Amino acid sequence: MDVSAQLEAQKSKYKSINVEKQVPLQFDLGLLAGFDVNALEENKLKVETDNYLKSYTRDGTQLLINEIFRLPLTSVQDVGVVAELPKIVTAIPREKPLPKPKPPTRWERFAKLKGIKKNKKSRLIYDERRGEWVPRWGYKGTNDDGANEWLNEARHRRNIEEVEIDASQQLNSAQPQLKSKVNAKVLKKTELRRQITMAKTSTASLGKFDKPVKGEPSNTKGAKRKFESNLGDIQKEKEARLSILNKIIDKKGEILNVRKAIAKNNQQN
Amino acid sequence: MLKTIKPKNARTKRILKKREPKVEENVKTAIFIRGSTTSQVVNDALSDLCRLRRSNSINFTKKNNIHPFDDDTSLDFYCAKNDSSLFVIGSHSKKRPHNLVFGRMFDGQVLDMIEVGIEKAITMNEIKTPKCSMGMKPLFIFNGELFETSQVHKTFKNMMLDFYRGQTMESINVSGLEYVISITATGSITSSDNTVPSTFDGKIFFRVYTIQMTKSGQKVPRVELEDMGPNYEFKFRRTRFAKEEVYKIATKIPKTLKPKKVKNVGVNEIGDKVGRIHVGRQDLGKLQTRKMKGLKRMSEDNDRTEDWSRKKRKA
Repeated sequence: MDVSAQLEAQKSKYKSINVEKQVPLQFDLGLLAGFDVNALEENKLKVETDNYLKSYTRDGTQLLINEIFRLPLTSVQDVGVVAELPKIVTAIPREKPLPKPKPPTRWERFAKLKGIKKNKKSRLIYDERRGEWVPRWGYKGTNDDGANEWLNEARHRRNIEEVEIDASQQLNSAQPQLKSKVNAKVLKKTELRRQITMAKTSTASLGKFDKPVKGEPSNTKGAKRKFESNLGDIQKEKEARLSILNKIIDKKGEILNVRKAIAKNNQQN
Repeated sequence: MLKTIKPKNARTKRILKKREPKVEENVKTAIFIRGSTTSQVVNDALSDLCRLRRSNSINFTKKNNIHPFDDDTSLDFYCAKNDSSLFVIGSHSKKRPHNLVFGRMFDGQVLDMIEVGIEKAITMNEIKTPKCSMGMKPLFIFNGELFETSQVHKTFKNMMLDFYRGQTMESINVSGLEYVISITATGSITSSDNTVPSTFDGKIFFRVYTIQMTKSGQKVPRVELEDMGPNYEFKFRRTRFAKEEVYKIATKIPKTLKPKKVKNVGVNEIGDKVGRIHVGRQDLGKLQTRKMKGLKRMSEDNDRTEDWSRKKRKA
């Protein structure tokens, strides 16, 4: 099947894309530029400048387009045909000098010294249980403690019976946890008494004119401390002070009774 | 001189960071300034050239008392303030009618400047044809051997490429190749000094066309051009070239952007990829070869034949 005739007919329908030049053009495709060093026809340029320039430029542009179409072309979706441009060949000066390397910050110096490296955690992690890549946190991630699972293994429990006993024990015991040997009964009694006093004095007249209840001690508050007058008997004062001093010193150098002190301390705690 | 600003909020900090020197730079900003007196031609030229460079270009509307070849300070100030490194100054006087000065900055100082006079000008509005969508990358065609031989022309070529190249892209959509800037240089050098433009009697033709791609029966389309943009006829006047050392620093490519050399891999004449493997030295004495008993050296050469016959009988 000889299709050459048909091909020829097809080709002749369209205009040629080939251009003949004495000296081939130089290209810098990174800049989409073509450089033509062929001599121009001076008289044509003088007489019919615009037309000549247009046709001359058309030839140059055709060669440039041919060259561009020789680059690796890819077909991108919604965009069309995209040509990958090479790096620029002509040296074009920069506008600012190259940046100077910044000195490392305090942290960077420390990290270098200690050999600390930044470990970036990836968003997705391979979950063995589910057998697929899921996010580390967030929606449908591995971080949710199995709250949304329909079936969860009972973890850290020995037997189901022990679990039940634990629960019932928790419910029944209303006693607070006591750290020391203090009697729980006594503590409760003092606590109650304190609460009664608080309730009693929380009236407008601070409980002074309340009718006394049978069996209740009337004088709950401690007696007010009485002080001697400053302008009293000097002799009396002297005796009082000396008696205190004698009590301390008289015990033949033993100021502190260690045994008594320990006992008292234990009682208090 | 501009005082250094200390950022007081995040917004200013971001702006300052944008203006910092970087390894891969931003698109250059250009400013179009009017001198103390301008003509209508110059004004139109400035606005058209600004339009060609749609984004990143600032057109000053007021007249400024600015003389680029005499005094640099006001120019430095304008460029620093607007963070621009390209400028065009238009002026008109009896001595230099319809004057344009194209220039570049590096590191806050003027790098190089070229002054051109407009001989003929046709604005974009005068040419009633559809214009291309602005912001596209143009194609460039430089015609004339002067662009390879003459320093003025080389600098002008470099400048034009710098002015209109747009953003550096790794790949380009073929349908986005909409217009072409063609610069043609005519004339010849009348004296041996090819740095002084007054030795030229030639002109520069600046033309901008829109590209129409038509079917060609093959993958590559047929190109047709349509007149679009401003058309100018320039003539070179004064120039100021960049100092060698400064130009060297300005065109320095940082190590990170240089293509990495792969050792021991190359391409031979045919075009095949060839690699070289370096093998260490071999001790030929310790080579493992096929052992041939017949070639073994006996202790006494006399007994050789006897031994042989004896062995044969035994076998």
